[in-house]
Amino acid sequence: MTRLVELIDVRKVYDGGAQHPALNGISLGVERGEFLAVMGPSGSGKSTLLNVVAGLDRPTSGRVLVDGRDLGRAGEAELARYRRSGVGFVFQFFNLLGSLTVLENVMVAAQLAGSGTAAARQRARELLAQLGIADQSGRYPARLSGGQQQRVAIARALVNQPLMLLADEPTGALDSRSGDQVMELLVELNRGGQTVLLVTHDAKLAARYAGRVVSLVDGRVADDVVLQPSTARAAEVVRVRVEEVAG
Amino acid sequence: MSLKFGILGLLAEQPLHGYDVKNRFESLLGGSWEVNFGQVYSTLQRLERDGLIEADGERGDRGKLAYRLTASGRKTLVDWLSRPESEPQQLREEIYVKLLLNTRLADGRLDDMLKAQRRVYMQRLKDLAELEQRARRERRDDLVLLFKGAILHTEADLKWTDACAEEIRNSNRKGGKAK
Repeated sequence: MTRLVELIDVRKVYDGGAQHPALNGISLGVERGEFLAVMGPSGSGKSTLLNVVAGLDRPTSGRVLVDGRDLGRAGEAELARYRRSGVGFVFQFFNLLGSLTVLENVMVAAQLAGSGTAAARQRARELLAQLGIADQSGRYPARLSGGQQQRVAIARALVNQPLMLLADEPTGALDSRSGDQVMELLVELNRGGQTVLLVTHDAKLAARYAGRVVSLVDGRVADDVVLQPSTARAAEVVRVRVEEVAG
Repeated sequence: MSLKFGILGLLAEQPLHGYDVKNRFESLLGGSWEVNFGQVYSTLQRLERDGLIEADGERGDRGKLAYRLTASGRKTLVDWLSRPESEPQQLREEIYVKLLLNTRLADGRLDDMLKAQRRVYMQRLKDLAELEQRARRERRDDLVLLFKGAILHTEADLKWTDACAEEIRNSNRKGGKAK
C-alpha cells in the first residue's frame, strides 16, 4: 500500500516572498496510522505545510500526493470535496459556530459533505458520546469549557471519517490539564487507526505524544526522527547528583 | 545536593539504621540515584563525630546501630532548608566543550553534532513524560515534581541546541565563521 501522504520537493512561495519561500523543497512521507508531529519556530513553514496537505494552499512547485491523489493538479471541485471529507481540522481556538448547538456544530460538517440530516445526527451523536460530551449536545459552545469546546471541534473534524486529522496547536488555548486530556484523546484515536498530524512549537508536546517528529527550519526539514516508546527506568533517564561532602 | 543533608532530613522524621537510610534515600529519589552503602556509612560516622546525629539506644542485633538527630543537627537542617540555592549553575559541560572544539576544528561536523544531541533530548522528553505519568499513577507527587524539573531542564537544553544551530546558520549566511 502506498503512503497516505507523499510530498515531493514541495515549494511554496507567497506573493512577493520569493526571497523567503514558506516551504523550500520539502520531501516527506506520512504512513497510514502514524502520529506525526511537525515542529518548528514561528515562520518555519509548519502551518503552510499543513495547509498544503489540507488542500487549502497549492504548492508553487513539487507534488503533494494524498491517498494517491495529486492535490496540485486536482480541479477546484475535487479539491473542495477533499477538504470537506478527506481531512479533519482542529484549530487552536476551536472555531465553533456560536449560534449553533454542540450537536448542530458537528452535524453541519457532515451535512456540508452530503450526509442526510438523520445520518448526520446519528453520526454526530455517536462521536459526542465517544468523546465523552454527549451530555453537552444541546448547549451552545460559549457555555462550554475550553477543553469541552475542543472535544466538540474534534468530533466535528472526525464526522466525515477523514483520512487524517490535522491539529494545529490544539492545546494552545487550553490550561495544561485540559490540554493533556485533549492530547490523550488524540492518542486514543490514533490507537484506533486514525492518522494524526500535529503541528506545534512545543517540543515537550511533540515528544510526549507523537511517534515521529519532523522539525522544520526556514521551510526545510531540519530533522525527522522516530521516537522509541519509553520503557526506561528512572535511573537511566535522570539522576539527582548527591555528593559526599568531605571533612 | 549533598548526602549529608539528605541523611539529616531522613533522620528528622525518625531514628533509622544505616541500611534504612540507604533504602529510604533510594525510594525518596525514585531510583534516580543508586546509593552506595559505604558512602552512607561514612557520612553517618562524620555526622556523629560533628555532633549532628547521635546513637539512638544501644547497638542492636548484629551490631546494628540506629541514629537520631541532635538539636544541633536539626538546626543545621532547618538552616539548610531555608537557604536558597546559590551554587554556580551546573551546565552540561561536556556537550559545551564538544561544541567549542568542533567549532574550532571542523565546521562541517557542527550541524550533525547538534542534530544528534537534539534527538537525545527529544527521546529524553518522551522518557521523562512517561516517568512523570507513572509517578502520577503511583501517587508519588514528590517524584512528579522531580520529573517536571527534569523536563524543564531538557526543554532548555533543546532550546539551547536550537539557538546554537541558529547562530551557526546566521553566521554562515553572513559568510562568516562561527568562532
